[in-house]
Amino acid sequence: MYSNEIQAILDSLGIKPGDTIAISNGGESEEGVLMPRSDAGDNSVIVIKRKDGYNIGLRYSKDMRITKQASGTGHFEFPKAITTTNGSLNNVALLYTGGTIGSKVDYATGGVYMLTKPEELLHEVPELKEIVNIDVQNLMSIASEDMTCLEWRKIAEGVVKAFDKGARGVIITHGTDTMHYTSAALSFMLQDLNGPVVITGAQRSSDRGSSDAFLNLICSAHLAANSNIAEVGICMHKTSSDQSCIMIRGTKARKMHTSRRDAFRPINSSPIASVDRNGRIEYKSEYRKMSAHGTRTTAMTGFEERTALVKVHPNSTPEILDFYVEKGYKGIIIEGTGMGHVPSSTSKEEYSWLGRIKNTVDKGVVVGMTSQCIYGRVNPTVYRNLRLAASAGAIYCEDMLSEVAYVKLGFLLGNYKAEAAKEMLNTNIAGEITARTEFEPEFTE
Amino acid sequence: MRDNEYYKKLGFKCGLEIHQRLATRQKLFCSCSAEITGDEVIAQVSRRQRAVAGELGAMDRSTSFESSRKRKFIYNIFRNTSCLVDIDEEPPHKVNRDAIDTALRFASAFGSKVPDEIEPMRKEVVDGSDTTAFQRSMMVAYDGKIEVNGRHIPITSIFLEEESSGIDSSSNDSVVYNIDRQGIPLIEIDTDPSISTPQEAKEVALKIGLILRLTGRKDGNTIASGVQRGIGTIRQDVNVSIAGGTRVEVKGLQEIGSVDLLIENEVERQIRLIEIKKELVARQAKVDGSSVDLSKILGSVSGNIIGDTLSKGGIVLGSRLQGFAGMLGMEISQDRRLGSEISDYAKMAGVKGIIHSDEDLGKYGIGDSEIRMIRSELGVNDLDSFILIAADKDACTMAMSFALDRARMALTEVPPETRAVSDSKKGTTRFMRPLPGGSRMYPETDSEPILISRQYYDGIQKQTVYMEDRLAAIRKEISNQQLAEQMAYSVRLPLYEYITSNVSGINIVVAATLLEKIKELERSGISVDIDKDVMVHLFKAYAAGEITKAAIGEVMKNSPKSINDTDRIISEKSLARISGERLKELILKEKKASKGDLAKELMSKYRLNVDGDEFNVILGDMK
Repeated sequence: MYSNEIQAILDSLGIKPGDTIAISNGGESEEGVLMPRSDAGDNSVIVIKRKDGYNIGLRYSKDMRITKQASGTGHFEFPKAITTTNGSLNNVALLYTGGTIGSKVDYATGGVYMLTKPEELLHEVPELKEIVNIDVQNLMSIASEDMTCLEWRKIAEGVVKAFDKGARGVIITHGTDTMHYTSAALSFMLQDLNGPVVITGAQRSSDRGSSDAFLNLICSAHLAANSNIAEVGICMHKTSSDQSCIMIRGTKARKMHTSRRDAFRPINSSPIASVDRNGRIEYKSEYRKMSAHGTRTTAMTGFEERTALVKVHPNSTPEILDFYVEKGYKGIIIEGTGMGHVPSSTSKEEYSWLGRIKNTVDKGVVVGMTSQCIYGRVNPTVYRNLRLAASAGAIYCEDMLSEVAYVKLGFLLGNYKAEAAKEMLNTNIAGEITARTEFEPEFTE
Repeated sequence: MRDNEYYKKLGFKCGLEIHQRLATRQKLFCSCSAEITGDEVIAQVSRRQRAVAGELGAMDRSTSFESSRKRKFIYNIFRNTSCLVDIDEEPPHKVNRDAIDTALRFASAFGSKVPDEIEPMRKEVVDGSDTTAFQRSMMVAYDGKIEVNGRHIPITSIFLEEESSGIDSSSNDSVVYNIDRQGIPLIEIDTDPSISTPQEAKEVALKIGLILRLTGRKDGNTIASGVQRGIGTIRQDVNVSIAGGTRVEVKGLQEIGSVDLLIENEVERQIRLIEIKKELVARQAKVDGSSVDLSKILGSVSGNIIGDTLSKGGIVLGSRLQGFAGMLGMEISQDRRLGSEISDYAKMAGVKGIIHSDEDLGKYGIGDSEIRMIRSELGVNDLDSFILIAADKDACTMAMSFALDRARMALTEVPPETRAVSDSKKGTTRFMRPLPGGSRMYPETDSEPILISRQYYDGIQKQTVYMEDRLAAIRKEISNQQLAEQMAYSVRLPLYEYITSNVSGINIVVAATLLEKIKELERSGISVDIDKDVMVHLFKAYAAGEITKAAIGEVMKNSPKSINDTDRIISEKSLARISGERLKELILKEKKASKGDLAKELMSKYRLNVDGDEFNVILGDMK
């Protein structure tokens, strides 16, 4: 945004970003296309794009004379894919939700926008036409950090509708930050799934020639069209190379890096499958398979919004639990240390969480325990302090990820009575808990 | 005679782009070392890149061309000189201020305007040379000028950008790049296309190079240089066109000495291509674009490219070029024919090249009977030519389409191209890719704009030492003008300035030693790598009359490691100067028939200890 002063002058001259203007100051004149001012930076600097394509910024001063030379063409229209149907290919729905995979520089104005038309994204991945017949549904266009359970519900319903319309599989494009929350939510919400639901995104925006979006979309299309996986999974880069992707179970995935292409890793499990650009799918572990006798997919979309995820740490006081009780929360996941510890026998009594946990449970709130180690399983019996926390009423959530436990608890409380939710919290329902963990020489690989 | 008038008549236009690596400690957008000496490769990743829609909606012709080649790019990752930023796995860090400051100094040196805010941009490049598929680049100045032989040449723009990755090796379908150099700050100085002759282009390039090397920052007693020196640290791109021709960019010339030859050849090439075009138009030549699989006809050819390809299951495609008879073999510059231009295009699809009917086909194992069959199969008559390509089916099909595109261009234009130097001595070039259009620039949204206040820029200018002042000082200090010029261009100029700022009155000796003595030692296999303060100590000893000029080289020969080491060498090798009374005594002791014999005898014995001038004076005074 330009400063009010500059904006007023531009308005009075009828100048909009994208228009060609001349700026003269004491005999020297610069000409170029007016660019919008990004939120960063000094808003009294006017940015123009010169003929050679470069932008420069000129500080506004009272002596400046700005004139409009030509009107711009308005927003840039990105080319769109023409979707055609090929009888020999499978039909797949693509539900577009936004995120980096769909963000682009608007070349006319220089700003970054979320694409509202997914066909624009498909235009840049012509390979898809050879893999699937894609039916694009534009559900929303939001960044993943802005996702809430309302959007999860909308996506789950979108998936049901797509299967009802005859899709064999579904691809969901999504921002990466909270992709693993959404994948967990869909894993719980979708019932009797009988086709692949593949969530994908990008760590590099698709307006860059080096974007990971292209391979991610190609591999997701292969999975949605040709795999027999009847589960929700995340399909993103296997390594930093643009060679293959992995499909990670929706309840076992976590974003483990802020920026790398291979940020999504399976935790406490192997990926379901790997897939390369040519469509070669290798199954890597047990999974739920599509069945010829499958019933209709439905969605259970209740979600208890008053569910919280709390992290303990040295010096943390348990008063936060009182706050949640007071606000009427129904469920709390505590991310403990190690195998599920909370401060218990502290030198100062007020740092101990035990009494507060018991109190919270007594008030009818379901309390679950996970570990901030990320990898491994919590255990309620190895140490005395663990036994104390467990006997205070915390439910130990096995090898479930904290984020997944949070989503699961919200889902359970939104669809079942508290007693049933309590029972189900540490029972596997969507692959979120595994009974045995296989040995991996390097477990983070 | 190819004088100014000749080039004016041709409608000659020429501009230069000089790319020079800056001597900053770190890269432009990350904290990796900007010095790439002897780092080790620790991993590789492979990537793909594709063209994305440019600003005008259309894909840029160079980027979509590269994209159609579908090559795999493999990047060598280095321990100290590359990080996640360089491998496109982390957003850029804050811009390197040192690089900005250096660029601003050059802006001042070229008398350019500096914007109030510098805007980092992305320039799309999908040949894999940048892991990001774009080069980060920013305009730091515009509208400058230089003077060459009394003529003003506008310096239209100065850019600060990231160096690209260097090619390690390449094959049909993949390229291996070293990313150690990617991201090193690079400055690009562009002239406008008003350069009037190839000779002038060379002079402009030399002048810009001199300004880049001699513009520095005051750093105490010395001047810190802004640019790296050595092989590969400066490259010149040349833009050339003539009337009826087109703008062609020749990239990456490292030897400034052949700038003029290269331009002359490009002019010649465009003249020939225009002549060929006229001839083809007169003949109503045509390229219909169809091709025929000749694999069966050529089934009996063994060995060579054709036999080998067919035995591996590949195919041979042929196409008729109507009205092209004799044209493919027409020379357009030294060792280059229209056929080689077409072949360059075909090679982009990963094939070895083309075979055409203006060549001796016998050397490919194609006999007269096969030629007859090819001609009849393609419908070629005496006025036509044909081309053949042998490769696996996909590559062959793509190569034929590239080749026919180029053949078609011969009918209408000199194609706008980016060309690479193929032989810098002969000044010849080959096709690299279509010339990029303007539709590949967009804002680098990961990086903040950089405000340059008036005050800040004034501060930069105050610290700047300009080429003219530095050159004038050198010319004043070194009376031998040839030596002065050599010093100004020398890589040892900063060392010269350091020594002479610490030891006064011996500038010529310092210059001669650094330029001539060291070169002589290096030629005899002795590498001279002496600390600058040890150098100062050595020259101080000379200035104080403790050693002779000849002894300076002798000490250097022994590679002193420290000041003490220097003194030890002087004493162990008995290099202390003999002068005054001691020298007189020495002369009197020797009894020789003639002064000539005496001089010969003594100087051969005490060459390193006795100053020749002093000796002659004393000898002259003696009876």
